Amino acid sequence: MTALHRWPQRFALAATMTISSLSLPQNAKAQTDYYNTDAGRPLQIEDAYAVERRALEIQAAPLRLERNRRGVYNWGIEPELAYGLFRRTQVEIGLPIAILDAGVGGKTVGITGLDASVLYNLNTETRIPALAIGASVLAPVGGLAADATYASVKGIATKTFQWARFHVNGQYTAGKAPASVPGEAGAVGAGASELSRWLGGVSVDRPFPLKSLLISAEAFARQPLEANESLEWNAAVGTRVQLSPRVALDVGAGSRLSGDDKGWFATIGGAYVIGLPWRKR
Amino acid sequence: MSQVRTLSSRLGRGALLASLLAGTALATPATASAQWVTTYEQFYLQAPHNWTFRNDYQAADRLFNAFDYGHAILYEKLWTMPHASPDELEVKQYDYLTKRVLVRPPRIPLEEAAIEIKYVQLAPEAKQMFEWAHILHRQLYDVLADERLDQTAKDREVQRLIDYYKTRKDVAFSSKPKSMKLMQEQPYSLAFRKQYPKFNGLIWGYHWLQVGLYEPLMVGKTVDERQAGVRATTARFWQMLQDPPRTFPYQMPMTPAVAPVFAARYQEAAIIFDNLHSMHDVISDILANDSVPRHRKRAEIMLAAERFRDDTSYVMTPQAWLTMAGHMGIENMGGPSVGFLPTLPTPTVTYGAVMSHDDRTGAMVGFKSGQATGGEHAGHTNMTPTPAAAAGAAPMAGMNHAGMNHTASDTSRARTDSARRDTSAAHHAMQHGVTPAPSENTAAQAMMREMHEAMLRDPAIRARVLANPALRAHQQHLESMGAVDSLPKAPPARRSSPATPAAKRPPAKMTPKATPKPADPHAGHVMPTPKPPVKKPPTESIR
Repeated sequence: MTALHRWPQRFALAATMTISSLSLPQNAKAQTDYYNTDAGRPLQIEDAYAVERRALEIQAAPLRLERNRRGVYNWGIEPELAYGLFRRTQVEIGLPIAILDAGVGGKTVGITGLDASVLYNLNTETRIPALAIGASVLAPVGGLAADATYASVKGIATKTFQWARFHVNGQYTAGKAPASVPGEAGAVGAGASELSRWLGGVSVDRPFPLKSLLISAEAFARQPLEANESLEWNAAVGTRVQLSPRVALDVGAGSRLSGDDKGWFATIGGAYVIGLPWRKR
Repeated sequence: MSQVRTLSSRLGRGALLASLLAGTALATPATASAQWVTTYEQFYLQAPHNWTFRNDYQAADRLFNAFDYGHAILYEKLWTMPHASPDELEVKQYDYLTKRVLVRPPRIPLEEAAIEIKYVQLAPEAKQMFEWAHILHRQLYDVLADERLDQTAKDREVQRLIDYYKTRKDVAFSSKPKSMKLMQEQPYSLAFRKQYPKFNGLIWGYHWLQVGLYEPLMVGKTVDERQAGVRATTARFWQMLQDPPRTFPYQMPMTPAVAPVFAARYQEAAIIFDNLHSMHDVISDILANDSVPRHRKRAEIMLAAERFRDDTSYVMTPQAWLTMAGHMGIENMGGPSVGFLPTLPTPTVTYGAVMSHDDRTGAMVGFKSGQATGGEHAGHTNMTPTPAAAAGAAPMAGMNHAGMNHTASDTSRARTDSARRDTSAAHHAMQHGVTPAPSENTAAQAMMREMHEAMLRDPAIRARVLANPALRAHQQHLESMGAVDSLPKAPPARRSSPATPAAKRPPAKMTPKATPKPADPHAGHVMPTPKPPVKKPPTESIR
């Protein structure tokens, strides 16, 4: 067994030991606050906090571009709505759209599924890290969607030190492997959210509070749902910045370091937040 | 063997990583239970007036962002550097705040959890209480600054904001007034103000402006007056930074004293803010006081927080609260936030002095710490409260601060320059503090009124009052109360676009050209922000 192959096992062991529940197709969260990170915006590994109660966040057109080693470009857009429904609980719905390079001059455009998810923050960080669990469903909606419904569970931990903050995510998806994953040459859609049997990773970020700026980096591994595909290692860096009290911008870039579909990716997105009307009962 | 070592090595690394991910090991279930916190954030009330103050009063709004940094870094340093030299806060952080952060304040509200990282982990519930009350603070500015709302609509929106605030019973401050005993007569009290007088004064200066800015928004009759008033009040805050801690407030600014019109109209909000500011001081004391062991800090903070939230601990009546605020003395709180004269008022007590108050009436009954330094009340002789005072008399009336039971252990410093008197402070307190008392206070007020009217008979003074929107508003307010005679009608105010933000407007002229130069050349003007230090400012750091 090579050293490269041992690492994922060690990582998986650690993640399994420390995270009680693991997850589904990566659910994307829409969180406007620059310090409240969000899967896919721009990094895959997110923090353990839900969107504020009663906040409605709108991500109109977060964009992702991928290029694999064969020179094929794919684009993805995932409009999303997230709402802080209960205390420490957010629900979210997204409609990932993929634009796939289909050969010389050709493109295939379609919806890759309907993504509905919930994230529940278990606690606020003290000496105990902040913990959260999540669940999501990717429904077979759209021309580029998988042919079945897939459910995932996810566990998240966040621990903050004075010099940096760390997040660990683990996710597991149930269901049979599809006959063929849509957009085999690099389906995009919900941010690096092709269906994964499991995904585990860690990210680190550091805020610059007077500038309302966060810089972050991550490394994660994912096993594609198809058993015969090899494990993928990914690394990425990104930044989130608060442009106004209601608007946050994120930018990120990274690389698939291993697996059958090596390549790089870049993403940019923005979110706008409002509250829903309230009346005294 | 090698495979066993490899496995052992893997397991060891895995376990190490696991423990890192799972967090610090917790010694006992009780500790774990105390550390399991489920507080949460909630979005502010969605309304058309959201962020109006930010858009229309940019300079003042940004200062509040800087204040957030000051509060956060204070707690972080107190908690994480318990053995640091006082210079860490009094010099290094103070200079960074006043020469860098306040001078170039952040554009948007800060995420305090990114600044007070370890403090938030110590007491996330307390952090959430502050954040929730700060949201109320900001939303009230928005309502008062929204030119589309008439007074009825403003009243309705303020009440809606308070109702929304109170939906979070787990973090909302009580809207019942709390005795100052809760703030400054606890075993840990006064540690912060004694060890860090400059930083403490800065925090009181923050609180003065945070409540004080409501007043020009309330008393200004036109958008121009409100804009000019906010600029003048903001300039007054800068004036407080000139010679710290001498020029800072000597007592915690109380909303009914600093912003009496606001407090009278929106009493619940004013009480909430006084409770908020009291708890700021309490947490500073708990963190700064070594007599509270580190393992007890969280418990003490939680106890104090609970007392500030409930409606039973240390409560007093609103009337007693008004009386207490009056007796503490507006001149000791940085002075009024509108209608002030160029010089800062002269405090009548030593810095950080602790007055005892009758919980039933709010009347001052003596000093627990510190002493009176004379001022406007020197010469009064009675040490016990007069019946009038006990019933809620005029602020400080009948009090003899100089003759009260002084506490020798007090190490605070007093201002001595009585030449820097601001009689407007006395006027202000007189008008708004509490119910007038019948006997000597009536005579004193008559004298004050006579003096006021005599001054206004002077054409130069009258012209100055008329030329100054804040003073003019103050005068009109006095007239509406029947406290003084009417002035001749003011010339029509110049009007500019309501949409023009304060930062883009030229500073309002606060004094006519012919007016002699005041002792303080910046007083009453929109002061230019101090230049940043010549040397490179310290880099932003969260450590």
